[in-house]
Amino acid sequence: MTLEVLLQGLIGGLLMGFVYALIAAGLSLIFGLMEIVNFAHGEFLMLAMFATFWAWALAGLDPLLSLPLTAALLFLLGIAVYHGLIRWILGAPMLAQIFATFGLAVFLRSAAQALWGVDFRLVKDPLVSGRISLGGLFIGLPQLVASVGALAAFAFLYWLIRKTETGRALQATAQDRQAAALMGIDTQWMFALGWGIGAACVGVAGGLLTIFFYVFPDVGASFALLAYVAVALGGFGNVPGTLAAGVVVGVVEVMSGLLIAPTLKYVTVFLIYLAVVLWRPQGLFGRF
Amino acid sequence: MATRVTALVLALLAVIAPAAFAQTPKEVVIGVLYPLSGNAAQVGIDSANAVRLAVDIINAKHDLNLPLARGEGLPGLGGAKIRVIFVDHQGKPDVGQAEAERLITQEKVHAVFGAYFSGVTQTVAQVAERYGVPHLNAESSSPLLTERGLKWFFRTSPHDGHFSQAMFDYIRDLEKRRNVKFKTVGIMHEATQFGSDSAKVQEELAAKYGYEVTVKISYRDKATNLDAEVGKLKAANPDILLPSSYTNDAILFVKTAKNLDYNPRLLIAQNAGWTDPTFVKEMGKDVEGHITRAPFALDMAAKKPMIRQVNEMFKKLKDNSTGRDISDAPARAFTGFLTLADAINRAKSVSPEEIRKALVATNIPADQLIMPWTGVKFDEKGQNTGVRAILQQVQNGAYATIYPFELAAADPTFPLTPWKDRK
Amino acid sequence: MAPALRWGLGALALAALLAVPFVVTQPYPRHVFISIFLYATLAQAWNLLAGYCGQISLGHAVFFGTGAYTSSVLGKELGLTPWAGMVAGVALAVALSQLIGYPVFRLRGHYLAIATIAVGEIVQTLMLNWDWVGAARGFFVPIKRPDSFVNFQFHQSKQTYYYIALGLLLLALGVARRIERSRTGFYFRAIREDQDAAASLGIPVAAYKQRAMAWSAGLTAMGGTFYAQYILFIDPESVFPLSLSILICLVAVLGGVGTLWGPLVGAAILVPLSEGTRIYFGGTGKAIDLLIFGALIMLISVVQPGGIMALAQRGRRRTG
Repeated sequence: MTLEVLLQGLIGGLLMGFVYALIAAGLSLIFGLMEIVNFAHGEFLMLAMFATFWAWALAGLDPLLSLPLTAALLFLLGIAVYHGLIRWILGAPMLAQIFATFGLAVFLRSAAQALWGVDFRLVKDPLVSGRISLGGLFIGLPQLVASVGALAAFAFLYWLIRKTETGRALQATAQDRQAAALMGIDTQWMFALGWGIGAACVGVAGGLLTIFFYVFPDVGASFALLAYVAVALGGFGNVPGTLAAGVVVGVVEVMSGLLIAPTLKYVTVFLIYLAVVLWRPQGLFGRF
Repeated sequence: MATRVTALVLALLAVIAPAAFAQTPKEVVIGVLYPLSGNAAQVGIDSANAVRLAVDIINAKHDLNLPLARGEGLPGLGGAKIRVIFVDHQGKPDVGQAEAERLITQEKVHAVFGAYFSGVTQTVAQVAERYGVPHLNAESSSPLLTERGLKWFFRTSPHDGHFSQAMFDYIRDLEKRRNVKFKTVGIMHEATQFGSDSAKVQEELAAKYGYEVTVKISYRDKATNLDAEVGKLKAANPDILLPSSYTNDAILFVKTAKNLDYNPRLLIAQNAGWTDPTFVKEMGKDVEGHITRAPFALDMAAKKPMIRQVNEMFKKLKDNSTGRDISDAPARAFTGFLTLADAINRAKSVSPEEIRKALVATNIPADQLIMPWTGVKFDEKGQNTGVRAILQQVQNGAYATIYPFELAAADPTFPLTPWKDRK
Repeated sequence: MAPALRWGLGALALAALLAVPFVVTQPYPRHVFISIFLYATLAQAWNLLAGYCGQISLGHAVFFGTGAYTSSVLGKELGLTPWAGMVAGVALAVALSQLIGYPVFRLRGHYLAIATIAVGEIVQTLMLNWDWVGAARGFFVPIKRPDSFVNFQFHQSKQTYYYIALGLLLLALGVARRIERSRTGFYFRAIREDQDAAASLGIPVAAYKQRAMAWSAGLTAMGGTFYAQYILFIDPESVFPLSLSILICLVAVLGGVGTLWGPLVGAAILVPLSEGTRIYFGGTGKAIDLLIFGALIMLISVVQPGGIMALAQRGRRRTG
């Protein structure tokens, strides 16, 4: 196990980590607002990837170019899901909420299979391809673009939440729903917006992933699991926290695979998660 | 005199009449179990389509040198047609068990067929054994299935033992041909029944032939990232890599290997992902030179034109909406189903015991198969002894049969071209 | 409802259930009943921890798999009867549950749920790579003929399996009922409603959570042993997956979490639904059955989040 291989792994983990973080960010945002874990988050990712694929297959749009379109589509999906489903279970016990989004997940996954079949789809010859070499270390260009894109999306999200009026309204609603309502903030609209933005985040992540990852109805499942862990690790509701957490997950995944055994990659990620939350029950940066 | 003749005729009629009115069924019903949803659904759907094609070939007139093609229906049963009930076992052994039982006891199928995953095939076989109903399996690869002493289980396909043996035979033959010596082997497999079974056999054979397994990687399937796996392979750098992966992970593996500049000299895959028609199409030049074991080869159509005809029919099937080529698993399903129908036909009855006896007596010659086998003949464990595993290599964007050398359509290329030299 | 009437109806229902195998003689419908009983048992076991004590676990498959593997491995290696294996499985599952609970119960709500998912995944991954028990290849329970109660294998008919499954369900219901009416149950509910208030009243919260966990894990493990002896083949994918943990929780939530009859009601609806949609729609490869399944789950969660039992309660209160 040479230093070169280890450094290579570190880079790979870092790049993937940014993508994980973006997927988790949407989840964290939604939870922060209304304490609902979206168990259909992986399916949102899958739909974003399919949207990107079809834009390429039918209209020849490269994934990078269709990114705004995908984000917009997912934004609308998030709002639709809020109004169609989530709005009705806001006051329900946590379990029924899990139930609802889980049902949505099964529904979306099956709908994708019914509509598009189970074949694996790949975007061929994207604008971004190949790899660059930095002193013996390789960086895949699609991966690099994906992680830079994820970081950019993250920065945008941060700006949106911290520096805009809407973002501050979102924060207020997250902190104290009733007080925010008293201040004239339309909480219903805030919730819907939260879902929309959360879904849009995952939309961007999906679009970026489609540059180098295959698409099929079950693709969301593996990413979703890591996203849940990243959100919990970073602290539910803490969006910047998920950036750090996503990177931790990505790096631990690869490095433990190299240093311990690939089969124990996720075991290590989960063990670290357990260790962190036991030491700090609210996650690395979360509020309880 | 007239009375004696009349009496004789009446007596004859009395004997014949019940037989004539007795069960010459209008149709033979067969239950087919495949994973039609979930991860392996594409293979399940392809295989179900292959069965549909086989049913059409049996039930209608076709000018092909395949069992039962030339007539309509099963002549041994008065032209009875075959009807199939497809069920989705969702990849779960308990669902397979419940469905097999339902097919046998409620739908009253005369035989069961399937089920791709060895774990599900196992539970289905147990049910068939319990009820005394023939179960023909065309594609499950776990060697254990024919080691359990089941009377009613028959498998037409080769299993992991055959395949991995072929791989090592090739390795040793290649060593002689090219005057090279391989020392180390790397095994990479997904942590599923298929991957695990495959890896176990490969490890055993490697030890048997004196190769050192320097790296053995098991990974959770549907991986989001294979950087660590490829990194480890790169660090260990075995002479030969033996991967066992389904399509999605195979794609990710090749892309990651390209990114990280991992160049094995020899790669022999345990089919699955590598024999998925989309794989070579999608990956193009990136998989040039990859070898896979395959029980079926499309390029054998040069020697057996029937293969091309069957493939054309398969592509035109109504349920094959994307016009996929027939590939490994569906080709085996096709062959297995025809074998089953052939046996039922020879049994001239739908009685389970008769069908079983007919299966035991099966002897289909090589020229009536689209598979490169020497025939279909079952041993006392229910395993087809006419199997032959072949190895194919991606050359110029398509698979070419390279081994056994007598069947080869092309010479093997060795070693794999490193990434930086690939155009 | 007057107690005498309730007892009478209960006895009648029990008699009906006992008589079912004499009326329903086809194996497949019997299998549906057995599935209902098994899922109801698992959901009831889960209900003890999550419904009564408020600790949401999404990793309960760990105990199911532990039960399944323990009895199977002991049966194969030591020739132990699966009944003894079941006891061993329960013991192991309980021990494991305490080990897991000790750190994990310091968490609450969603953190706890995700932690249990993490534990579940860790265990499944380890089992997928543990060669001695077959790793991903799975474990074949050696087939023993003829049918024997000691060997816990019945090949001639499903009748005995039916009664054993029913017995397990009655056991689970019995345990739940006793806990419900005992001081332990009272403490569970206190912890569920307000953990901190309960602690301030002097209730040893951690100890009682562990107790709920123990009961829950033990019953779940029994279900695991039953499954192993019923299907005769187990692998990590079928007895340890996250999807099973979620399914158990779904059954309880549908029926009414925190109620005595909720799990049974949930199983009685979900199992036939799942079987029905698969049979009528599953053969096309278009996953129509799962599509309908998902839609129904969403609908139910929106219409009555408290589960079916809540609907019944609401009706009762109105007339009360």
